[in-house]
Amino acid sequence: MSRRLLIVLTATLIARTTFATTQPSPRDSASILAMIDRAPEGARVLVPPGQYSGHLHIGKTVSLDGGGLVTIDGGADGTVVEISAPGVTFSGFTVRGSGTRVEREPAGIRATAPGVTIEDCVLEDVLFGIDLKGAANSRVQRNTISGKDLEPGRRGDGIRLWWSPDCTVQDNRVSGSRDMVFWYSENLTVRRNEVTHSRYGLHFMYSHSTTLTGNVLRYNSVGIYLMYSNNITLTGNTLISNRGSSGYGIGLKDCDNIVLQSNALLANRVGAYIDNSPSSVGSTGIVRDNFIAYNEIGILLTPNTHDNVISGNGFIENEEQAGVHGRGDLTLNRFSHQGRGNYWSDYAGFDQDADGIGDLEYRAASLFESLLAREPSLRLLVHSPAQQAIEFTARALPEMRPDPKFIDPSPLMKPPSVEVTALLSSSPRGMALSAAGLLLAGAGALSLFGRSPRLPHPAAIAGRESR
Amino acid sequence: MSAIATKPAEILRSPSFAQATLAFARRELRDALVSRWFLLYTIGFAFLAVATSFMSLAGSGSLGFAGFGRTAAGLLNLVMLVVPLMAMTAGATSVAGERERGTLIYLLAQPISPRELLLGKFLGLAVALSASVCIGFGLSAAVLAWRAGGTGVASFLMLVALTCVLATVMLSVGLLISVCTRKAGVAIGVAVFTWLGFVFLSDLGLMAGTIVFKLRVQELFTLAMINPLQAFKMSVVTQLNASLDVLGPAGAYASRQFGAALPWMLLGVLLAWGAVCLSLAAVIISRRSPA
Repeated sequence: MSRRLLIVLTATLIARTTFATTQPSPRDSASILAMIDRAPEGARVLVPPGQYSGHLHIGKTVSLDGGGLVTIDGGADGTVVEISAPGVTFSGFTVRGSGTRVEREPAGIRATAPGVTIEDCVLEDVLFGIDLKGAANSRVQRNTISGKDLEPGRRGDGIRLWWSPDCTVQDNRVSGSRDMVFWYSENLTVRRNEVTHSRYGLHFMYSHSTTLTGNVLRYNSVGIYLMYSNNITLTGNTLISNRGSSGYGIGLKDCDNIVLQSNALLANRVGAYIDNSPSSVGSTGIVRDNFIAYNEIGILLTPNTHDNVISGNGFIENEEQAGVHGRGDLTLNRFSHQGRGNYWSDYAGFDQDADGIGDLEYRAASLFESLLAREPSLRLLVHSPAQQAIEFTARALPEMRPDPKFIDPSPLMKPPSVEVTALLSSSPRGMALSAAGLLLAGAGALSLFGRSPRLPHPAAIAGRESR
Repeated sequence: MSAIATKPAEILRSPSFAQATLAFARRELRDALVSRWFLLYTIGFAFLAVATSFMSLAGSGSLGFAGFGRTAAGLLNLVMLVVPLMAMTAGATSVAGERERGTLIYLLAQPISPRELLLGKFLGLAVALSASVCIGFGLSAAVLAWRAGGTGVASFLMLVALTCVLATVMLSVGLLISVCTRKAGVAIGVAVFTWLGFVFLSDLGLMAGTIVFKLRVQELFTLAMINPLQAFKMSVVTQLNASLDVLGPAGAYASRQFGAALPWMLLGVLLAWGAVCLSLAAVIISRRSPA
């Protein structure tokens, strides 16, 4: 009895597995379109799980739900899903296979109507990911987008907003795309997005009045770049190892009234790059309480940049803490606000009255850095003892000391504490193993070869070798 | 190594090149182990390496982020300063010291050639120095594992390997100095001066030259690469960053110009220094009288 049951069970199991492995041939996307046509305006349409091929055009206000089990494949041609009706919700789909020709801008999902919600979707092998054109008041959230394997200049944008104000873009994960870019779109909320291995993580052009919070940008050419965009606040963003040819964690070009606060800028080529921001008379730039560490240059300003207030930041172990992009100094910016300056890891002063503010000012004057400003190719000799020798000379001989690039009159004794998300942590096992291995190799080499007890005598050598 | 009794004829036969060289290498290593300099160098290097690792992790310890990348820069500076000094003085004293004490003439009275002696000394000292470097870095790795986790293990091991190569190359330079001088004191003096030249003077001269003569990037790169210490540094930087563009325009030029061949080229410069100096030393030692 039990054996028969077993056979039946096994047979069922085999039948099921074969059923699951032999994929049913993909259905035509037109069947989804037919469901939309049958549904009344504003209805929720549950799409049956499975593979669908062909393009889908949603021209009616519906809520389309794939439940995470529906794949739409565009067959490597054109835009896969187009939304042209306002108020459409598109959630839980896998969209793949857009065209490749960058001049046609084929996208995974393109929306051209306001009030659209695109959420919980996975986009793979698409040139552009989610493209909002004139789609105000839309939401793009919890999507995962990975671009085509092309060189960065030929890829499309992971997420693009074009004339789409008042949108929310949050919790998306983008990798291997060109940029996540915002054109002419005001009042956006951009938070907790994660962009890796792309060109410009978050790129703002002429898009004003936006808050960027808690975004994580790693291994991109540039983390966040704001151009000609005003009244933007960046808080709690994490920028790690953005080291392309320009390689800025955060870059600002001609932007007014920017607040950079409590961001972590780690191991980028340049932590923050400020080019002529603020540019209008009477506007300010505030760089406050950021954690700027292990970058080649902590903060880099073009010589004409002025009226930034840089205070409360921790400048930690950057090869060059604050630099000028070209010749000149940074004295038109303030490095202290209301008696609070910045923390500088190379500050050598003291705090006798224990008020947390160093009693001596921090003077950013490095002879080697001023040589670099004169002759950039000398950076070839960085990391060498000669560089240390030059700095030592400048400290020992005051007449060799260059004019300071800027002075922080009230340096802090402690760095700010900033929440750093997505830190690289790894198990110490590999390093511990190499420690043990190296010690063993060192000791082993000594004991193995160093045992020979006597001075060599030819007879002794011959004797020992054959013994 | 079977325990068969040897015939008298065999005992009188002079040893082969490899046997003699190996025997001298072992003797040199044993001498190094009981001598003060080796102990001093090993303890000194280990202390400095551990201290550098601690110091460079001190600022980041609370974050646990920096890992090996930051420590690398500190260790690199330390290695460039200390290892050439260790290796060159060790090499410089070896032959000149024997000559001054009169033991060189005794050693060369044995049925061995001066070249075997030199090669033996070279091998023995190379093993001793590499062991010293491995112990220093091993302790430093223990600190890193404890405080920073395991990021950059491959880069770290590459740094260790390249440092051993650097020590060997600098040892050949020291041996060349050693075979040319009569007294150990003079040899050490010359070695320290050469060290000063490699570590400071050539780079400072290059800086001055770049500013005064407006050297182009390719000229600057070529001149810098001739210095074995700069070649070593650039090798380490290519291993850490996969490109030299962190070294500014000249580095970017080199990466673009030479591409994948660059690490091999830099290693080639290093090895060429070692090979040339050791061959010169071998030629000189066989032509000079041992007294």
